[in-house]
Amino acid sequence: MEMTDVTVVSRARTGDPDAFRLLVERHSQPIFRVAYRMTGNEHDADDVVQETFLRAYRQLDRFEERANFGTWLHRIAINCALDLLRARGRMDRYYGGDPEDAEMNGMIRSEPEQDRLLISAELREQVAAAMERLSGNERTAFVLRHFEGMPVEEIGKTLGIQVNAAKHTIFRAVRKLRQSLEPFVRSSPCNT
Amino acid sequence: MQHLNEEQLVLHHYHDDEAAAPVAQHLAECDQCRAHYETLRRVLALVNELPIPERGDGYAEQVWQRLRWKMGGERRRIRWQSLLAAAALVAVAFFAGQLWHARNIAPTVPAGRSATATIAQQPSRDRLLLIVVSDHLDSSERMLTEVANANPKRSFDVSGERKRAEELVASNRIYRQSAAGSGDARVAMLLADLEPILVELAHADDKLMPDELVALQKRIESKGLLFKVRVVGAQVGGREVPAAQKGTNSL
Repeated sequence: MEMTDVTVVSRARTGDPDAFRLLVERHSQPIFRVAYRMTGNEHDADDVVQETFLRAYRQLDRFEERANFGTWLHRIAINCALDLLRARGRMDRYYGGDPEDAEMNGMIRSEPEQDRLLISAELREQVAAAMERLSGNERTAFVLRHFEGMPVEEIGKTLGIQVNAAKHTIFRAVRKLRQSLEPFVRSSPCNT
Repeated sequence: MQHLNEEQLVLHHYHDDEAAAPVAQHLAECDQCRAHYETLRRVLALVNELPIPERGDGYAEQVWQRLRWKMGGERRRIRWQSLLAAAALVAVAFFAGQLWHARNIAPTVPAGRSATATIAQQPSRDRLLLIVVSDHLDSSERMLTEVANANPKRSFDVSGERKRAEELVASNRIYRQSAAGSGDARVAMLLADLEPILVELAHADDKLMPDELVALQKRIESKGLLFKVRVVGAQVGGREVPAAQKGTNSL
């Protein structure tokens, strides 16, 4: 029978390196995914994965056994990704938020006649490009709400901003995403 | 009810609206808002298609291999800190003793006796220095190896190593001065050669461009630095173990 994470953590706490290795095996892929969504960069995501496990190893004594280890680790990963983005000055430094600027830079594809039957790979590239247009804060807030299902209050705490500010950061992110991706999902004229 | 704005639609989508029922009712009745909501819903569903680079089955093993070394470094750092604290205590006690001696007793004690006392304390100080230098060279060797083996055609990401490089620079300075002070010219020279490389890594941008990487690799290679670090590291590491050699070797 497979050992639960809690059992494995207990063993890791006693200094059993194989136990911690098992935790790495179980969780490195999902942690990479959240790290990549937040940083948008493979190498940064790899660094976040490393740092996450290192911090988890250092803080293993603080893990409460009632909690879910995966959730706890995700939380550490989010903080690591935030630290990395902040250290690299990538929080709120991307694009000023004016959609007109983005359009002028050719970042938004708004040709009405463009082919909407894009192959999946192209569409995914458009999604990645749309995500890259978000500022660091917008991307983080959006990823935490959309992918991680984190409540807005919690997002505010994580980013060190008020709840309303967190909400508006998510709104801005969604607006930018809609502006970028609407042409690819619109099946009938939309009254905007 | 007025038409719903995008913020209300976003809140409704994520179930964050305080009054979901009126919004749902309006959506059921208003074609225009329903169309907006449908577009928003499709956009957000499309975002789920955000491509994530594949990490193969061996990824966990790669993570573990890098991590294992860092975890080892963590343990080494704790050992260093303990040893440095011990070394600092020895040094403080020694210099305080010297000062007290100079002020109170030195004029009445023959010079030879003071020198004997100093020599008696030398092996323990040297031994501490050897242990920490051995660990320091071990860590430096790993960092130099990473740089030396990096692909010169691609940029080299040093962002994750910078903090470690900063720590190594700080330690390097202390050990170099200590080695010079205790007459270990060989270790002092090696650490003097090592320091500029560590400083460069500590102050590097997030990524070394290929030309910068190649220049650094050449500097490491031209001085035979990696080889020297390995050799001296091995000698120093081996020297601390045999009790018979304590205080008798010269670096």
